[in-house]
Amino acid sequence: MRTTLLSLGLVMLAAASAPADVDLTVLPERDAVQITVYNAADLTLVRETRVLTLEKGDNRLSFAWSGTLIDPTSVALKAPKHGDKVELVHASYPPRVRGKAVWTVHSEVAGAVPVEITYFISGVAWRAFYMGTLSQDETTLDIDGYVRVTNHSGDDFADAKTRLVVGKVNLLDRIADLARRTAPYGSPRPTPPGAPAFGEAEGAAPRDKLVEELQKARRKFGRQAQEKKIVKEGLSEYFLYTIEGTETIPNRWSKRLPSFHARKVKVVNLFKYDEHRWGEHVRRFLSFKNDKDHHLGETPLPGGVFKIYRVADRQRRLSFEGSSRTKYIPVDQKCELDLGNARKVLVEPVLMEQRFENHRFDNDGDVNGWDEVQVWTVTVKNRRTAPVKLEMLRHARHQYFAVKNDGDCGTYTLDDLDTLKYVLELAPGEERTFTCTMRYAEGSRR
Amino acid sequence: MSYKTFWLAAGLILAMGSTVRARSTLTALPDRDETWVRLDNPSATLVQEERVLTLQKGLNRVDFSWRGVQIDGDSIRLEMLDHPGDVKLLNVSYPPGEAALVWQIYAPEAYREKVRISYLLAAIDRLVTYKAVAEKDESALDLKSYLVLRNFSGESFAKARILLDYGESFEAGVRHEETKRMLFFQAMDLPIQKVFRWDARKMPWDPEKEAETPGIPFFYTVQNTKDKGLGGSALWSGKARVFQKDGHGSTIFLGEDRPGFTPVGEKMELGIGKGRDVSVTQKKMKDERINVRRNDYGRIVLYDTDEEMKVTIENFKDKPVVIELTETIPGQWDMESCTHDFEKEDAHTLTFALELKPKEKVKLVMHYHRRNVR
Repeated sequence: MRTTLLSLGLVMLAAASAPADVDLTVLPERDAVQITVYNAADLTLVRETRVLTLEKGDNRLSFAWSGTLIDPTSVALKAPKHGDKVELVHASYPPRVRGKAVWTVHSEVAGAVPVEITYFISGVAWRAFYMGTLSQDETTLDIDGYVRVTNHSGDDFADAKTRLVVGKVNLLDRIADLARRTAPYGSPRPTPPGAPAFGEAEGAAPRDKLVEELQKARRKFGRQAQEKKIVKEGLSEYFLYTIEGTETIPNRWSKRLPSFHARKVKVVNLFKYDEHRWGEHVRRFLSFKNDKDHHLGETPLPGGVFKIYRVADRQRRLSFEGSSRTKYIPVDQKCELDLGNARKVLVEPVLMEQRFENHRFDNDGDVNGWDEVQVWTVTVKNRRTAPVKLEMLRHARHQYFAVKNDGDCGTYTLDDLDTLKYVLELAPGEERTFTCTMRYAEGSRR
Repeated sequence: MSYKTFWLAAGLILAMGSTVRARSTLTALPDRDETWVRLDNPSATLVQEERVLTLQKGLNRVDFSWRGVQIDGDSIRLEMLDHPGDVKLLNVSYPPGEAALVWQIYAPEAYREKVRISYLLAAIDRLVTYKAVAEKDESALDLKSYLVLRNFSGESFAKARILLDYGESFEAGVRHEETKRMLFFQAMDLPIQKVFRWDARKMPWDPEKEAETPGIPFFYTVQNTKDKGLGGSALWSGKARVFQKDGHGSTIFLGEDRPGFTPVGEKMELGIGKGRDVSVTQKKMKDERINVRRNDYGRIVLYDTDEEMKVTIENFKDKPVVIELTETIPGQWDMESCTHDFEKEDAHTLTFALELKPKEKVKLVMHYHRRNVR
């Protein structure tokens, strides 16, 4: 298997005073590697551990990373066990040489020094997705959450401690753009046109090697009797998922990992009607809360596609109910899965009467104010075999209005200054009609 | 009267394979004794180099050529250091079609004259970058600053004194097309404040109607003052990458920002990312005309408004948060009642600083009149 970038090119120049590129010593393999993959940006933080043999004083280290999408401005070195005694004093990016840097590392200790080398790499991504299975009576949902990690970085990650971050980070530059720059920090003068990019096509490992590596990983994984755990914890405004053990993800491969399973999550069959958003259609939602009462609430739910199936018969055959892309759902917040237009729940508002009253006249005898009265008959129908909750928004023309409802219209509240929100609970097969009278004040009647 | 020609700056030009012609016999090629590169002005870099010229008595011609080097020809200055009163620069001429000039120098005696040549050099500059590592509890951070020298000027400096706008000069070599990053300073355990900012002018009012959960920007604030661990000098603008300790010996990357120039006494703000575990929903619940004045034709010519704005802030986190809300009210206005204290930023901008406990939900209601609306 092709090893990662630094093991290819990380070499040490023995003496501080020695000119570059002499007395090259190839370093041993990296001892461990950790990747922290972000989902909201094309960004992965790689941290690898190696043992360098340093001399007291200044040591010059040269390394190369061609064929990968590494941001050269991000590469850093730290010796955790030696604190301030080992320090990266400066890094030099030689002229007209791409994918290479020479570091001057000052050390107050001589001998083997374990160091951590960190850098950003582009091309590794992860995403969340979910599968939900509704019970036959549509009252509960079994949820299986997954993550899928994909590696297109040009680098192979073998036995990597894998961590996933949910969060929206600020990024000034795309890591892929930084990785392709000719000069790592750009140039004060414009780069001549036609300067070749690098790092994209190179470095793909032979397929048989990759398969071998994957099989090795499978054998290793196969020895585990149980599914891997994912440890989840909050850091700042982000969530960190640490996958148990290590993962091998060769370049151009991806890996699906189970994230969580929640059983018998109580759901509300919620139907919404809002002409401003969905026209005349009623929209179907499955609603549940990301909290402990719903066997969830351990962490936020990252945004991802939710595919909803329903147990269709006693043999537990499934029907596909629809799919929805969820937003990020914080702990204790309601999650609403939008399953598209509902055909069996209907809302039919009909304008039955229009009157004009209370006219006002100006000094010339012209009309300058009046009331417009609209009488609407609203019919709601539940043609489903399960009970539904319907949230209906009615938008007034403007805020100068009064409303009077006759009949069973459920509960209604003012959602904002010109929007009324009705909430109705409908039994299976129920049909209900109520009257809504809107009185608008126009012109000088306001 | 003898004419002697010296060709300066030739070392670097020769190194580039330059084919500069000398107009007279080339008799000496003095090396640079000392070179200073001043990077204190972000718009131009001043190079000053000292050399020793061997001058004959009388008139001397000295060629200075910079083919392939990004020197501003008008900026070149020559200063005599040993005999400034006696040795005189008589004139400067520019040969056609060349990046060169010829100095005519008068020396009353034959001297070995130390001179200083100054010029503005383009395509060489410096950047500053920062790396901050915050504690897991986000109470403090360690800050490292790096200086990045970028030299694409055409001129290589084997050894030069680099001067910034503060601090001591230092020696460094930087070749043409070389980039060099150096640790500049570090300050440990700087106290930080974390704050969310929600601005009614920029953020969506109803997050439920958004396709993606809107993130609220959050910031770390570092004071550039002595009592907060800094305050030694201004902090330059530059890309800052912020990490956070994860409590397991590693870090995660939080985000990056490019804070502005921060003089001593001011605060540096770092925009980190967006938090989605705090939500703000704003709704206008009332907007009516009152105190309506009409003209003789019954047309409304003047009125006040009676408005009510309801803002619901929810903290879904199990930690307290500080959030600043920015609201605007145009024109003349009076606040009739408000559930929370605010600061008037200007005539039309109000800021609310709220502290929310873990899982707390706060309702902020502003009831105000806009006056004399026409």
